[in-house]
Amino acid sequence: MLDIFVSIIVAGLTTGALYALATVGLSLVWGSMGMLNMAHAAMLTLGGYVAFTASTSLGLPIGLGFLAAIVAGAVAGGLLYVLIVSNLLRHDKSTFESNVMIATVGIGIALENAILLTYGGQPLKQPLSVSGALVIGPVTLPYQNILIVAVVLVLMAIVALLLGKTRMGRAIRATAQNRDAAQLLGVAVNRVYFQVLVLSGALAGVCGVMVSSMTQLSPPLGNDPMLKAFIMCVVAGLGNLPGAITAAFGLALLEAFVQFVAGARWGFPSLLFVVIAVLIWRPSGLFGRAQIRRM
Amino acid sequence: MSVAAKPPVLSLTNVVSGYKELQVLKGISFDVGAGEFVTVVGPNGHGKTTLLRTISGLVPLRGGAIRVNGQLVSAKPHAIAALGVAHVPQGDLLFPEMSVLENLLMGAYLAPNRAEIDRRLDEVFTLLPKLSERRHQIASSLSGGERRMVGIGRGLMMGGQILLIDEPSLGLAPLIIEQIYGVIAELSRSGRTILLVEENPARVADLADKLHLLDDGAIVWSGPPADLLARDELLATYLGG
Amino acid sequence: MTKLSTGKGISGSAKLDAVIALVLIAAAVTLPFMVESRYILGQIVLALFYATIASQWNLLFGFSGIFSLAQMAIFAFGGYATAMICFYFGLNVWAALVPGAIAAMVFSLVVGLACLRLTGVYVALLTLAIAQAMYLLIVTDTECFVMVGSICRQFTGGAVGFARFGDLGMRTLLKGQWLVGNYAIIATLFTVTMIFTYVVVKSPIGLAFRALKDDPAYAIARGVNRFQAQLLVFGISAFFTGLAGGFYAAHFQAIGPGVLSMSQLMFIIAITVVGGLGSFWGPLVGTIVLVLADELMREAGEFRTLGLGIIIALSIVLMPKGLVGRIGDLVRFLRRRSPRSAMGPQENAALTAK
Repeated sequence: MLDIFVSIIVAGLTTGALYALATVGLSLVWGSMGMLNMAHAAMLTLGGYVAFTASTSLGLPIGLGFLAAIVAGAVAGGLLYVLIVSNLLRHDKSTFESNVMIATVGIGIALENAILLTYGGQPLKQPLSVSGALVIGPVTLPYQNILIVAVVLVLMAIVALLLGKTRMGRAIRATAQNRDAAQLLGVAVNRVYFQVLVLSGALAGVCGVMVSSMTQLSPPLGNDPMLKAFIMCVVAGLGNLPGAITAAFGLALLEAFVQFVAGARWGFPSLLFVVIAVLIWRPSGLFGRAQIRRM
Repeated sequence: MSVAAKPPVLSLTNVVSGYKELQVLKGISFDVGAGEFVTVVGPNGHGKTTLLRTISGLVPLRGGAIRVNGQLVSAKPHAIAALGVAHVPQGDLLFPEMSVLENLLMGAYLAPNRAEIDRRLDEVFTLLPKLSERRHQIASSLSGGERRMVGIGRGLMMGGQILLIDEPSLGLAPLIIEQIYGVIAELSRSGRTILLVEENPARVADLADKLHLLDDGAIVWSGPPADLLARDELLATYLGG
Repeated sequence: MTKLSTGKGISGSAKLDAVIALVLIAAAVTLPFMVESRYILGQIVLALFYATIASQWNLLFGFSGIFSLAQMAIFAFGGYATAMICFYFGLNVWAALVPGAIAAMVFSLVVGLACLRLTGVYVALLTLAIAQAMYLLIVTDTECFVMVGSICRQFTGGAVGFARFGDLGMRTLLKGQWLVGNYAIIATLFTVTMIFTYVVVKSPIGLAFRALKDDPAYAIARGVNRFQAQLLVFGISAFFTGLAGGFYAAHFQAIGPGVLSMSQLMFIIAITVVGGLGSFWGPLVGTIVLVLADELMREAGEFRTLGLGIIIALSIVLMPKGLVGRIGDLVRFLRRRSPRSAMGPQENAALTAK
C-alpha cells in the first residue's frame, strides 16, 4: 500500500515539476504581453533534440548539452519576437491576441515538421538522463525523478530572483501590471517583450530535455505538456506565476491519482473537468485577479 | 534664475492629436519655462488628459511639434521619459502587485546609479513621509490619497526636467485634495517645473504662474489664474460656473 | 479604423454578392462537364467540405469573435453521430444526417455553455482542451462494445473508426458516375450553408454578433444579450458543421479520429485566415488558394506541413485581413485615385494637421 502511495506521489511530483516549468514559460509570456504562445510546444521539442544532437553527434559533455538546449530555446524565442511578434504588434491592438495565437500555431507546426524532417519520426532515447534509483526500505526513488524535481526547483528559484530582485525583472513585472505606466517611466516595452520571449524559450529548452528524459524524443513531444500547461494556466488564472506553479503540482498529483484509480485514459479528462468546474465558478481562474484586459 | 537665454523646458507648437477618427487636440501652442508652474484648465472630455498623453508619447502626435529643452520630440514614450519628462498619469496607474518601494524604484528605472536612486528616494521620503512608513505595503491595498502620493513620488523618482500632473484631485475627498495640493505647492516652491491639468481653476489660483483654458481641443484663453477667476463670463461659458 | 469597411467594400453591396454567387453557381454546374479526372473531382468535393467548415468557423470567430478551437470536434461529432446511428440502428444515411447534425448542435451548445462566462483566449484554450480530450478518449477506447463477426468493436470505433455503414446512394443510382452525384450533393450543401450564413450575417442577430465582437461593453449596454447571442451562434454554426460532418462520413463511407487531428484544425484556420477573417467570401477564397497550394506542395512531398505552417504565420503577419481584405484595399486604392473619391478620415486628419 505504502509503495503504491509513494509511487503515485513520486509520479505526481515529477510530472508536476515538468508541468510547472512548461506553465511558467507560457504564463510569463501571457502575463507580460497578452500573448498565448502556441509554438511553445515546438520550442520544448527543439530543446530536447538539440540536447540530443549536442551529446550524441557532437559528443559534448552533459552540461554543455543542457546549455545547448537552453541557448536553442532562447534563440527560438528571440527569433519568434523579431520575425512574428514585433510585426503583429504594429497592427491593430485589438486583434493582437488572436492573431498572435494563430501565427504561433503556424510557427509551431512548421517547427515541429522541420524537426520531423531533420530527425525522422522514430522515437529516440534522450542521452541526457541518469539511471538507477534511491531505495529506502520499500520505497524506490529513481534518480531521474529526483534530478528533475531538483533542476526545476533551482530554475524556479532563479526565475523568482530574476523577476523579484533585478532591474530587468522589475521592468517585466511592471509591464505586465501596467504597460502604459511602465512606458512612462522609461521602460522600452518592446525590449521587455523580447527578453520575456527569450527567457520563456530558454525555459522551454530545459523543459524539453527533462520531458524527453522521462519518455522519449519524438517530434510531437511538447504537445502534451503544453496542453496540460494551458490547463494549469487557466486554472490558476493566466499570468499568475505562483498560482500556475501551485496548479501544476496540484493537478499533476490529481492526474497521477486518477490514472492509477481509473486508468491512464481518464487522466486528461479529469483535468478538463476540474478546469471547467473552476472556470464556471471563477472565470478568471482560481488565483486570478479580475483580469485587466489589454487593449 | 537666468532662464532667458535657454529654450523653454517644454514647448508645444500647433500640436494635433487624437484617437482613431476622433480629433481631440486641434492645434495647441504654449511654452513652459524652467521653474514655471503652468496649468491647463478645462471641462472633462475636452482634451486635458490627451494633451499630457501626447506630450509623453502615449498618444501619437499627428501634427505640430513638441520640444523638450529645444530638442524635437518624435519618439516612443520610453525615449521621451529619458529626455526628462515625468508624467504622473490620471488614476495613478500604479503597479498594483508591487510594494510602495518597488513602485518608487520603478520610477528610478532610468537612474544612472545606485547612489542617485538612494538620493532621490531620500528626497521623496522627506517630502512624503507617509510613503516611508508604508514602503513595504502592496500598492493595491493603499487608500486613494496614498496611491496619489505614490504616483507623485514615483514621478519625482524619475528626476525629470518637468513634471506633468494629470488631475491630482480626481476622486479624492476634499481634505486629501488639500494635502495633495500642499505637496504640489512644496514642489513648486523648491523650483520644479510643473505642467498640471485640472478641472477646477480655483484649486490652482494661488499656485500657478500661468493658466491656459482648454475648450474643445483648443486654447481659448491664457493668463494668470487670478484674472480668469475675476472674469465670470469666461467661467460661465467654459466651465459652467 | 477600417475594421468594418473591408466587409463593406467587398460584400457590403448585396448586388455584388448576388452576382458573385450566380457566377459561382454557374461555374459549379458546368464543372462536372469540364473535369474528366476523378482525382480532381474528388479533391474538389473535399475542398467543398473544407469551405463549409471554414465558413462556419468564420461565422463563429470572424463575425462573432468567439475563438473556438472545437470546430473539428463538432464536425467529427456530426460525422460520428451519423455513422453510429447508421451502424448501430441500421438506418439509412439520409435519415441519420439531420439527427447527426442535431447531436453536433447539442454538443456544441454544451461546449458553449461551458464557455459562456469566458472571453478571448480562455475560450480558445477550453475548446482546444475539449477537442483534445475527445480525441484521446476515442483513440484510447479499447473496451469491446459489440462483436462484429469475430472482431471486437468499441463503442466509439476506437482508433479505427467506423466504415461501411452506408453511403449517399449514388453508387446504386448513377453507377460509375457516382462521384458526380456526390459532388452535386456536397455542392448543394455548401450553397445552402452559404445562403443561410449570409442571411444570419445580414440579420439583426448578425448585427448583434458583430457589435459583440467589435465592442462587447457597448453592445451589452445597448441591450444585446451576450449569453443568448453566443449560444445562438454556437448552435447555428454547429448545425451546419455537424451536417457537413455527416455528409463527409457518408461521402467517404468512413469516419475516424483522424479528422480530430491538430493538422486538420490548422488547415481550417489557415483557410479562414488566408481568405480573410470576418469576410463572407473569405473562406471560399482561402479554400481555393490553399487547396491549390496544397496540391502544388504535394510535389514537394514531405515539406507540405512545413509549408502550410509558414503560410499561416506569414499570411497573418503580412495580410491580417486576408486575401479578401487585400482585394478590398486594392479596390479602395483604385477608387481613391479616381477624382470623385470621397475623402476618408485619414486624409481629413492629414489636412487639419497641415
